[in-house]
Parts: sequence; structure tokens; C-alpha cells
Amino acid sequence: MKKGVLQISFGWLFAIIVGAFIIFLAIYGITKFKGTEQEALDVKAQEEIGILLNPLEMGFESATSTSFATASESRINNSCDDEGNFGKQLIGISQKSFNKWTETDLKAGFSNKYIFSNGVVEGKKFYVFSKPFEFPFKVSDLIYMTSSRETYCFANAPGDIKEEIENLNQTNLLIGEDCSGISVCSSSNCDIRIYSNYVKKGNDKLYFSSDALMYAAIFSDPLVYECQLKRLMKRVEALSLIYSNKASFVEGKGCDSEIIGDLDLLNSHAGDFSYSEYLLRMISIVEGLENSNDRSGVCGLW
Amino acid sequence: MVIKETRWFLLNFLKLRNPIFQLPPMKSQLLRNRGQMKIQQTAFMLIAVTLFFVLVGIFVLVFMFSGLRQSATLLEEENAMLLVTKLANSPEFACMSSFGSSKLSCVDADKVMMLKEQIDKYSGFWGVAEIKIRKVYPTNGEECDFGNYPNCGVIELYSEDVNKLPAVSNFVSLCWKENSDSGIYAKCELARLMVKSEDKR
Repeated sequence: MKKGVLQISFGWLFAIIVGAFIIFLAIYGITKFKGTEQEALDVKAQEEIGILLNPLEMGFESATSTSFATASESRINNSCDDEGNFGKQLIGISQKSFNKWTETDLKAGFSNKYIFSNGVVEGKKFYVFSKPFEFPFKVSDLIYMTSSRETYCFANAPGDIKEEIENLNQTNLLIGEDCSGISVCSSSNCDIRIYSNYVKKGNDKLYFSSDALMYAAIFSDPLVYECQLKRLMKRVEALSLIYSNKASFVEGKGCDSEIIGDLDLLNSHAGDFSYSEYLLRMISIVEGLENSNDRSGVCGLW
Repeated sequence: MVIKETRWFLLNFLKLRNPIFQLPPMKSQLLRNRGQMKIQQTAFMLIAVTLFFVLVGIFVLVFMFSGLRQSATLLEEENAMLLVTKLANSPEFACMSSFGSSKLSCVDADKVMMLKEQIDKYSGFWGVAEIKIRKVYPTNGEECDFGNYPNCGVIELYSEDVNKLPAVSNFVSLCWKENSDSGIYAKCELARLMVKSEDKR
């Protein structure tokens, strides 16, 4: 036998190779399992956030702020899909684990929610408040979400907005010029500039028709805002059809049906809606409908 | 078994290198046969070990996914419970101010009947498997359609063909417009808004 040559039997060699293969498979399996488990936890968190937001849409807690916290540092990805009958609100979560962000392609989708925020909101504590969007009938409660790390400074805000923000008691929404954060005002030296019917962010103009949409434009990315607005218009389209049919139905009970024409016009405009500037064309129809419904008394549709 | 096997491999290994270890032909044949037997045993053992790990893996996966299904069902149930309180105040159902002042937990039956007409569009919108509104009295009223409305008992808005959990319900005022000699007036009755979620278990 030669000296210095490692003598390993075939059996041992075989056992070592197979053993190494089994251990490799076990480690690979555990890693995959851990990844899947983490992904499942993320998806569960996404669903839970969606469900947690339900009370905000009750309609009787308008402009009330609430907050929720996540167990670890999280990134909430707010995206929106405007395809289909009503589009979808998509919520994705990635959490920091061992100093690394978990990655997931899975997102929880909700057809009946409209969350306005930046595309990615990062932090551990998140603030949400809601406001009803009426056009002219109630369409939905809009949810505004911000991270506790982002501070918005509203300078020279009009009286009603100032009062509303103060009543929210949300620590990251401040009134006045002496604060460091994202400045919101009507002058040109602010980060977010508010004009009579649009909000300017950089070079993007986000048009609005009510306070609810103005807040939406302030707190969200242009991409999120335009997409959610399209989804809202899809809901307006469906609701205007329901109200138009209801108007025809109650006409048989002796109610006036003059509102039907305007409802059909709103329905057609909502169907053609493509971007926020289109709101300007719809405002007069909405105002006309609001007046007609107010005059209807007991025959009012909404 | 491992010791025997090692001894056999060792012997076989040495036999190839050193003539001292050469065995008589009969014994060699016997050893070869026994060796083949050992190889087969090892192969079977390895297959059994692999199968064992595969079965354990499958068991773990089934356990994991049953947990996921359980979580999904619980989330659906939670959604249904919160939704039933929210639904009555959502724009497709709520009375708003059409029956005088703004009311909470008031469902506009006229509007719901119109919604029923285009319910296909709303498929999956609320994320629940069934929504119906049942008048508290009469308890056995028939299903509402345009032929018998409003003299009926149940407005079955939609129902998906899936396994469902027991209904979660909430009491609401069900209101509609009635015509009489004195004019149009609002009539309201007590009803239960019932929501069922899908059982994913």
C-alpha cells in the first residue's frame, strides 16, 4: 500500500456523496420553505391591512385619522390596476428581515377600496384617514395613507382645510410654515402647490373637483392618483346607471324623471374618462345633477 | 450492516491490489453474489431513505398549505364580518338622504333592485360569496323580482357556487318609495343584511 494515499472505500465515498446530496436537498428545501413562509406572511399582512381599512369606509367616520403599526420595518407598495369593471386596488408588503427586504410578487387586490398614497410608503407606523367622495352622489370613501416618517407642512391653508387638518390630530400633518418636511401651499416655492382646480407636483398637474380629491392629489404619486381616479370614474359610471334605472322605476310611482338625461350624460362621460383634466368637463353636469336631486324632495334619488 | 458492508468493500478493494487477498474461485463467486446482494440492499436502503424524506416533505407542505387555507378562510370570515356593517352604508345600498335625512344602516330597496339587474358587473367586487337581504317579517316571504316587489321577503343579490361559511348578518332598515292617495312616501321595514364568505378549507 502506498504511503500518503488516502484510503477511502467505495462504500464510504458513496455514503459521503449521497449524504452530501441529501443534506444539500434538505438545506435547499428549508430555504425555499422559509421563503414561501415569509411570502405567505407578507400576503397575510397585505390582506389584513385591506381588512383593517374597512371601518374607515363606514361612512360615519369621515376625516378621522387612525394609525396602524407593523411588527418590523415595512414597505407598503400601493399600486392600482384600472382594467376590468372596477379595476383593483393592489397592496404589496415587503418587510425587513435580517437587514434585507423580503421580495414578493404577490399582492392583495381589492375592487372596492381606493387608497391614495405614494407608490412605496416605508416605515413602521402608518397613518390613514378617509373622506367621502361625492360626484354628486357618494361614490366611495377615499383612504389617504402616509408614513409617520413623512411630514406634510400646510402653509397658508384656507380656513376649512386648516380646521379639518387640525381636527385630524395626525402628528405628521402640520399647519404653518415653521416645520421641516414636504411643504404644501399655493405659492411656487413649495414642494406641492395647490391651485383652484389642480395640484402641481413637479411638472405634473393633478386636477381635482372636491376637497376629497385635493387631498388625494396631495398625498399620492401622479401615477397612483390618475389610476385611482379612473377606477372611481368606473364606479361613477355603474352608479349613474343604477340611479338612472331607479329614476325610471320611481317615475312609475309618480316622480319626475327629468334627471335621467343628466345621469345618462354623466354615465357617458364617466365611461370616456381617461385622465384627471377630464374632470373639468364633468363639473357642470355634476352641479346640475346635484341641484336637480335637491329639488326633487321626496323623490330624491340619493 | 454498515460494518459488514464496509468490510466487504475493503476486502474487495484490497483483493484488486494484493494477490495475497485473492480468494479461491468458489469463495470469490460466493462473495460476488453476496456483494451484489449488499449493493441491492444499499440501493433499496437509499430509495427508502429518499422516499422517507419525500414523504416528510409532502407532509410538511400539506400541513403548511392547510394552515394557509385556514388563514385564508379566517381572513374571508373577518372580511365578511366587517363588510356586513360597512355594506349597508356603501353607495350601492345606502339610502343616503333619499328618504329624508341621512340615515345609517338604511338600505334603499329600490336601488338594490336596480343593482340586482346589473349584478354581473359587480361579481367579486365585495370579496364575499353571497349577499342577501331578508325582511324580518314575514319570515317566509318569497324571493323578490320585479313582478312581486315590494311585497316579497328576500332580495337575493348574488350567490356564488362555492362552499360557504354560515352567514354573518346585521339588522338594517329596508326602505322604498310607496305611492298612496296622499302622495309618495317612504316605507321602511326591519330586515337582515346577510353576507356569506367562501369556505376555503
